[in-house]
Amino acid sequence: MYGLEAINASNGWAISVVGVTIVFTGLVMLSIVIAQLYKVLALWENPSKIKALFKKKQPEKPREEQISNRVVFAESQKEVVKQFALLVRTMTDHFSLPRLLQLALISDLKDPYLNLNNLFKTKIIVPDGSGFFTWDKDMFDKLIS
Amino acid sequence: MDSLFIEFFHNTGFYLWDYRYLLMICVGLGFIYLGIAKDYEPLLLVPIGFGMLVGNIPIFKGLGLGIYETNSVLHYLYFGVTQGIYPPLIFLGIGAMTDFSTLLARPVLMLLGAAAQTGIFITFLGALALGFAPNEAASIGIIGGADGPTAIFLTAKLAPDLIGPIAVAAYSYMALVPVIQPPIMRLLTTRKERLIRMEEPREITKREKIIFPIVAFLLCCFLAPAALPLLGMLCFGNLLKEAVVTERLAQTARNSVIDTATILLGLTVGASTQGDVFLTPSSVGIFALGAVSFGIATASGVIFAKIMNLFLKSKINPLLGAAGVSAVPDSARVVQVVGQKEDPTNFLLMHAMAPNVSGVIGSAIAAGVLWSLMAKI
Repeated sequence: MYGLEAINASNGWAISVVGVTIVFTGLVMLSIVIAQLYKVLALWENPSKIKALFKKKQPEKPREEQISNRVVFAESQKEVVKQFALLVRTMTDHFSLPRLLQLALISDLKDPYLNLNNLFKTKIIVPDGSGFFTWDKDMFDKLIS
Repeated sequence: MDSLFIEFFHNTGFYLWDYRYLLMICVGLGFIYLGIAKDYEPLLLVPIGFGMLVGNIPIFKGLGLGIYETNSVLHYLYFGVTQGIYPPLIFLGIGAMTDFSTLLARPVLMLLGAAAQTGIFITFLGALALGFAPNEAASIGIIGGADGPTAIFLTAKLAPDLIGPIAVAAYSYMALVPVIQPPIMRLLTTRKERLIRMEEPREITKREKIIFPIVAFLLCCFLAPAALPLLGMLCFGNLLKEAVVTERLAQTARNSVIDTATILLGLTVGASTQGDVFLTPSSVGIFALGAVSFGIATASGVIFAKIMNLFLKSKINPLLGAAGVSAVPDSARVVQVVGQKEDPTNFLLMHAMAPNVSGVIGSAIAAGVLWSLMAKI
């Protein structure tokens, strides 16, 4: 028997396809494992990275704290922030930001734009979702007091 | 006294000669010439070539001289070939010599080693179409893996009668890698592609190198258990090398063990090419299919590298695909030579070793798959 007839009779097509597939599967699996091997070894050699991985998965609040902690206030800036707190006390709980900036400019606070930006970054001033803002006293006490 | 002389003369090679023996002696001399004068795989071609001279001395039957006579010394040495003992020993040595660093640095290149094995299965179909039985076709196809020990191992298991022609074809084409591959590589690539430079590989830690043979062995042998004798020895040899504390064993594996196995394998395979047994139409068919298989394997690797470039951000030089055939390190050297003809400052050898050693793993898996599939037929 010769030609296609011989190939069909011996189930040649199926054997070839299965063979190529198994060879590829084996080497693809091996390459994937090897590609991840050095990452696993890096974790093995430095267990603190594993802890860091789990820390990232913790609930939102600590994450907010992490974000807020990124801004470190200098002593002079803390004084300005305290003056901002005084200005906020003169306003309603849900205050207008342009109004607060205006009061800061009138009161001649140092670097009002920069400090207002820092108050945002540290989440001491947070939007209430209706166009106004609120003052987070807990965060203020934690970072400034 | 005259009758004694005449009787002795009747037992000499001069009386018993046949053109087929003479032809095979010429082929053997050609192998020796290629090995010594042209430096084409001398460690293989010289023992095989001399083995051809040994196997083609016309002898009278019954004295226990020929390799096919059950009580001959050569027959006992040939036992290591027919039972598939020498190939795993050679794989042990190869493992103890091989550095898998480049493969570990860029595992994606392993796919080129897989792609080049396509040649095995296409040739398998070709051999079936030419009328070979499935077990013979599988043994012929494995020539495309360009791995002599693997070809001998699989043939010993599936078609022991064809060991001679298949082993000679496999080793001949391995030796002729620098002649066969470059035209195919140039035909399938543009100059721009041949000029592509590879990224520097990252540094590999000792721990990665030690873990690799264990992981590779477990993963591949769970998938294709029939590859166990070859891959097991390859990975074991590599573990001996990388573990450092077993350096003495590694040194023995990469020197004494592989050299002894190569000498015995080469000599007995050469001796098995006895003119009256070897020169048959099927041997011619095997040689022709072997060449086709080798060509397809080379082309498959190069084409697959080009396909990979469509998806990769950091392009790979498609010449590396040709190193997917497992003729270690010759095909990697060929990649370097062809690449440097276009750009003498482009060094591809180190990168080509990755598909080259993965080709060894790939051809061993392919042999295991074919063995297990044929066993069920």
